[in-house]
Amino acid sequence: MSSLVTSPRLMGTLLGRGIGFFLLWLVLIGTAPKDMPVGLVAGVAAAWASIPLWPIDGRLSLTGLLRFILRFLPQAVVAGVDVARRAFARDIVMKPGLVTYRASLRPGLAQSALCAVMSLQPGKLPVSCATSGDMLVHCLDSDAAVTAELAADEAAFLRILPGVRAGG
Amino acid sequence: MGLADAFTLVCAVAGAILFLAGTLGLLRFPDTLSRLHALSKADSLGLGLIVLGLLPQQASLMGGVKLICIWLLAQLSAATASQLIAGIAARRKPQA
Repeated sequence: MSSLVTSPRLMGTLLGRGIGFFLLWLVLIGTAPKDMPVGLVAGVAAAWASIPLWPIDGRLSLTGLLRFILRFLPQAVVAGVDVARRAFARDIVMKPGLVTYRASLRPGLAQSALCAVMSLQPGKLPVSCATSGDMLVHCLDSDAAVTAELAADEAAFLRILPGVRAGG
Repeated sequence: MGLADAFTLVCAVAGAILFLAGTLGLLRFPDTLSRLHALSKADSLGLGLIVLGLLPQQASLMGGVKLICIWLLAQLSAATASQLIAGIAARRKPQA
């Protein structure tokens, strides 16, 4: 642990994260000088808590993230409108059911993040993940061909994480 | 009423309608997991529209960034909470 703490790479990463969390805190709480010490403690604590959640050598692709956001936002709109249409309909037409999807990502933080993102996509709600990578996904229309959509969602998500290999 | 106010009004009304849809879905959808769809998706979009509508009313850039951060955190918590509740609901009633 001591070698980890003294590692320049670790310290640099933690410093970057701490500054990021402190800036987020400033945006949310404000820039009053009397609140700054609390914000500094919050930034340090958040950076420390992020170590087990996100690897030090974890990387994000900004272009992948941008492409993902451009894909995610219209789909989130479609998802909300789809649910609203069903909720306001005189007769609710849906055939809910569970579909199994073999994800390339193995259980872990990356897969949990993928599940969270998928839960905001139209008609799909990940329910559970097995160690084999099988994901149980609840669909409002179990007859719809959701497997291809799920694979496209996962492929778009994987482009954000250049260091994460499918199946690893 | 200026263009910014009209934009705010349209977005806030659309957002409120989506919140209403989410609540209706919660009451009308047939099972627990389907109801979670209503809450996670309609409410997220509703909040997004209200935040979008409030952006032109902000006096400073910091206020706008704060609103967007709040929306992102709400998205994150809604997605995570719905997934956790879905997992519990599915374990209690595997055929749901």
